[in-house]
Amino acid sequence: MFSRIDPRSPTPIYAQIADRIRVAVASGEMRAGDDLPSVRALATRLRVNPATVAQAYRELEREKLVEMRQGAGTFIAELGADTRKREREAAARRLVREMLTEAARLGLAPADLRNALTHELPETK
Amino acid sequence: MTDAIRIRNLAWRAGKEFALRDLSMTVPAGSIYGFLGPNGSGKTTTIRLMLGMMEPEHGTIDVLGHAMPKFAHRALAKIGYVPERLHLYARLTVDEQIRFHQAFFPTFDAAESERLRRRFGLREDQKIGALSKGESGKLMMLLALSQQAELLVLDEPTDGLDPVIRREVLSALVEYVDVRKATVCISSHLVHEQERICDWVGVLDGGRMVAELPMQEFRSGIKRLRVTNAPPTPDAMPFSVLSRDETSLHHEDWVVRGWQPEMREWFQRSGAELRDVQDLDLEDSFVELLRGARSVTLEER
Repeated sequence: MFSRIDPRSPTPIYAQIADRIRVAVASGEMRAGDDLPSVRALATRLRVNPATVAQAYRELEREKLVEMRQGAGTFIAELGADTRKREREAAARRLVREMLTEAARLGLAPADLRNALTHELPETK
Repeated sequence: MTDAIRIRNLAWRAGKEFALRDLSMTVPAGSIYGFLGPNGSGKTTTIRLMLGMMEPEHGTIDVLGHAMPKFAHRALAKIGYVPERLHLYARLTVDEQIRFHQAFFPTFDAAESERLRRRFGLREDQKIGALSKGESGKLMMLLALSQQAELLVLDEPTDGLDPVIRREVLSALVEYVDVRKATVCISSHLVHEQERICDWVGVLDGGRMVAELPMQEFRSGIKRLRVTNAPPTPDAMPFSVLSRDETSLHHEDWVVRGWQPEMREWFQRSGAELRDVQDLDLEDSFVELLRGARSVTLEER
């Protein structure tokens, strides 16, 4: 889940970590009550500053996506179906925004992107 | 004590060629401070002065609340140091080296050292002289971490180590910092590596501190701007321009420092058009910062 944290990306590392968890929640990969790795364990695994992981968890706590229980750890919060739907939509929008930025840099027109998307997406009826 | 290291107006000279000039540096307690600079910029000299191994010509150095070099004996008891050149005794075994080091530090944690020895895959009876570069690097880090130091000063600790060993060493370091709430000052010219773990950055070039700020600010404040109709001599800019290149007939690329989104407005006022704002990664920011600092130095001359 955290395998593609990229320190060279313009997105700050804490935001990348938070995004991964949001996506995991939105997709159902992580469910209410699942526990997240401790700050220390994740920082050690990713070789990032522990403060960076703590910052990501705090941000998710503010959004009420996770609960931090003193001494017990950090858990995915109970979410309504609409929250999950909102997260999915937000994750998709983030992805598209990133794509648009990159496309603009490469000088691609919106039509090029639309064609490519139609081509790459599995056939839909 | 809110600063683990505080250096003010430090000056030091070696011959005609090399000098530290009016150098100030602040490492906040609890931070992981990336001390960046190209080879020969003065990082190791600064570190040696910081640890009281040399006497400054001018300026003050405080480390963990102790004035250096006068109270070096007090400060050094609380500092784990990994020097650029490893000084280990080739004829000792790993175990003997560990016990030798332990004798100097009452705070040395033998259980922790044993845990790290296993984790790093070092055998007790290995002769130091027969260790690979990576194994020596791991042993040096083991010694520094086992001291249970409040401050770790690491001079190019992973320079020349392979990526696998680098990961092991950095993981152990991150864990240590979180457990002990220690401060780390880690020097390197491997900018890429610092990007993950550091929350403060100081950039040294030619014996001067050209920038010192939180990592997040460093990364978010330096941008490449694509500008059309740029005024030849812009004035009252709210940001500072590190470099300016005419990349095509139609536009210029500016690398600026201290950027904030509200500053777009300045371009409208000055009749120019801002076409794009691009992020730079730490390495590019670092290179541009040095380029900017060097052109200023040339103008001064």
